[in-house]
Amino acid sequence: MNKKYLRPPGALPETDFVAKCIRCGKCVQVCPYKAIKISGIMDGLAVMGTPVIKAREIPCYLCMKCPPVCPSGALDRNLKKKQDVEMGNAVINKKECLAWQGTMCRSCYQSCPIFDEAIKMDNELRPVVDDKKCVGCGICENVCPVEPSAIIVRPGSKS
Amino acid sequence: MSCRAVRNNCKTGVQKLKIKILRRITQASVLLLLVLIPILNMKGITVITGSLYSLAIGPLWITDPLSGLQTIMASLSLDVVLLLSMLIPVALAFVFGRVFCGWMCPQNAISELVDYVSGKLKMKRLANPALSSTPRYVILVVLIILAPLLGFPVANLISSPGIISVQITKYFYEGVVGFELSLIGLIVISEMFIVRRLWCNYICPVGGLLGIFRSGRTMKVVYAEDAAHVCGKCYACADACRLGLDPMGEKIYPLCHNCGDCVAACEKMQGSSKPLKFRF
Repeated sequence: MNKKYLRPPGALPETDFVAKCIRCGKCVQVCPYKAIKISGIMDGLAVMGTPVIKAREIPCYLCMKCPPVCPSGALDRNLKKKQDVEMGNAVINKKECLAWQGTMCRSCYQSCPIFDEAIKMDNELRPVVDDKKCVGCGICENVCPVEPSAIIVRPGSKS
Repeated sequence: MSCRAVRNNCKTGVQKLKIKILRRITQASVLLLLVLIPILNMKGITVITGSLYSLAIGPLWITDPLSGLQTIMASLSLDVVLLLSMLIPVALAFVFGRVFCGWMCPQNAISELVDYVSGKLKMKRLANPALSSTPRYVILVVLIILAPLLGFPVANLISSPGIISVQITKYFYEGVVGFELSLIGLIVISEMFIVRRLWCNYICPVGGLLGIFRSGRTMKVVYAEDAAHVCGKCYACADACRLGLDPMGEKIYPLCHNCGDCVAACEKMQGSSKPLKFRF
């Protein structure tokens, strides 16, 4: 299945998530940042009512309040640590990234919640994403000063 | 027709209206709850969360059996927490019948209002099909088969109470509602112009499934005449039924959702000598 939706933390792989999500909206309600939106019927019949995060608007701040409220197990209720989240992976568009184009910028590096691990600065002070550490919260995508964002989360779990 | 015109022993007082008032309070409370849940959650009060698909009141989790069954079928996997949360509605149906539909469902509240207004306007519908629970069961079975084939809870696409409740949350959180809410408009128009009570009587898969959970001991409306309870044949019960059922007739279940309007109407006419009552 096309993984184009960024799901809340703890979400099963997309196909299983769409099957198991009961579309009740509890994760949406408990998100203190209003980061989780409810998909509409226009997004597709199969995903209607499912929760989705649009990181450029509001990213996931990894407060971990949503996984335990899921009634159907579409979100892993036992997920507690933000380091264990696998929402996706940030990908840098080096052609647009200010740092990679020679201008000083460390917005994504500084706001990454897995600080100095998921995004590191290389010897020439350019951000580099560590795919093993990146959880896909989208905070980097949200803070990137380039329009459109030069760092974008590609949704989907690692496994 | 006043009750006195039919029989002399009609009773007055609050007793006869109790069921109806209680039901209106319940219906209004559910609507209020659906509005309060997103408002309170936005303020950080997360004691009650969810919608009519799945609701959490503190540690008590309650899930609509149809949505639960659909996700189990779609994912072909069982979640014990989910299964347990489906037990309360199933138990409620086994004891009291489909009181979710009659007393709590917002779609029923809307459809009752449509039926009331249509009655006042003396609307003539395009069709008047015989009352039958078969179409509802056919739709239910098709949806249950489709869920694993299509890989998602297909019934959610037409679960009217679920859609209403989730869209209220969406409105508060995102300031907009989804196009899927137009289903409710479609139901309202259909019930005004095409078939009376089309949704609840012939289509709704949520009510269809809840109707299966019944036994001989489930609460039901009983029409029983004896020496002390003689029917005045006033038809107040049938007139009161917003589903168009005839409580004096043979078989009203599983279509009857125990709203009690017929029992209240009978009581209004005959007081304690009424032949129509709720029985377990």
